[in-house]
Amino acid sequence: MSRLNIVLVAAVIVGAIILSSFGSGTMRRLQAGFLSAVSPFLKTGSAVQRQLGAMGKGLKTLDELEAENRQLKIENTELRATNQILRDLEAENNKLRSALEYRKRSIFKLVPARIVSRDAATWWSTVKINRGFEEGLEPDQPVLTDIGLVGKTTTVSKNESIVLLISDESCKVAAKVEGSNERGILSGRRMGEGGSPNEMQLNFLSKKADLQPGQKVYTEGVVKGTSTGVFPSGILIGAVKSFQARPLDGQAIVEPSVDLSTVEDVFVVVGAK
Amino acid sequence: MKLAVGWLSLALAIFFALIIEEFLPPVRFLHGARVFLVPMLFCYGALAMPFWATLLMAVYTGFLTDLAYMNVTDGRVEIALGWSIVVFVFFGLFAHGLQPAFTGGRWWLHVLLSALCTSIFLALQFLMICFRRQGIYFNETVAWLVFAPGLFAALLSPLVHLTVTKLAPYVHGHTRLRAYRIEQP
Repeated sequence: MSRLNIVLVAAVIVGAIILSSFGSGTMRRLQAGFLSAVSPFLKTGSAVQRQLGAMGKGLKTLDELEAENRQLKIENTELRATNQILRDLEAENNKLRSALEYRKRSIFKLVPARIVSRDAATWWSTVKINRGFEEGLEPDQPVLTDIGLVGKTTTVSKNESIVLLISDESCKVAAKVEGSNERGILSGRRMGEGGSPNEMQLNFLSKKADLQPGQKVYTEGVVKGTSTGVFPSGILIGAVKSFQARPLDGQAIVEPSVDLSTVEDVFVVVGAK
Repeated sequence: MKLAVGWLSLALAIFFALIIEEFLPPVRFLHGARVFLVPMLFCYGALAMPFWATLLMAVYTGFLTDLAYMNVTDGRVEIALGWSIVVFVFFGLFAHGLQPAFTGGRWWLHVLLSALCTSIFLALQFLMICFRRQGIYFNETVAWLVFAPGLFAALLSPLVHLTVTKLAPYVHGHTRLRAYRIEQP
């Protein structure tokens, strides 16, 4: 290799090291710029993928469609009944809350979003959604569905954002278990550990915690100084699958309430109403 | 001029490969292993282009790859911007050493190099994340996630080769294997 080539290689490596020394804010801005640039292609790709998916889904037999229709009618009736009960309960709940002077439960301002792509990165569980700062999104905002928590925004560009799923090992959520005083930190499991790739672990529980499979797990809503953490309190995360006592603490395996590998439509919590 | 057209074509192909990768679903029965097209395309360029063009391609590919996959959470970046540039520079250096054999007709070098670079790239990413988190571990899933993409790259690389063979006459004016080299010495 000639001397000039060696100098060129050294210059490139030095350049790369300088790049790597940038702060996370600068890196986030650069990534947001890249997201904005690829946004039209992502939207087109997502539309094509949806159409192809719809074609596949449309190929059902008449028998299957009839059975599905019957099932949907039954579910519809059930949901109407449940809805009515819930309305009554909501009214009663509000009355009790004001009577007991409990802090009124915050009502979130939600921005609906659609998942345009599931990240191709092997080692992180992220998705891209079709909403950005133009719709009021910011980094570190909770993302959820009507069923439960999905994750939080990380990089936000003009019209696209990256969402880190709760099943990722680096996504930490303060959580509490329903019907107990158990509180801990929930995060995704390591690659290949456990059964389903979306399973999560709830650590730092007490060793003697009496947790049963099926107990619901909610966000705890940690307060940092004068501001609250990323996740407000009371959002459903999932249900306990199993519990094991370890030498220093207890660990519960939690299954997310939202199917993170198929979820398509989500909401981003952009603030209180 | 020919080199510029070749370089830009490859740069465009890498850009679109990154977008296509977003929509390629993971292979569930192989523990969710994914198909990566970018290292395969880069290797082709590195085997065919002059040294300085390979270096420029390494900077471009590494920068785009980092921007596409960077995970910024809680104010920290697990794999910093610029890291992939260094990795692609080393891949480029290695591939460039094999260039005489490749232009001499050993097309399978691209297959081998694509598989190696894809798997090594993923393995290095995994190691960096391990250092950042709770230490190194290894299991069957990790093995599949590292090696299966290499296998996919090996299977797909002849297609890339064939496509360039068909396109080569339009850029170089002849179709012999040595024409793959974008600029003849």
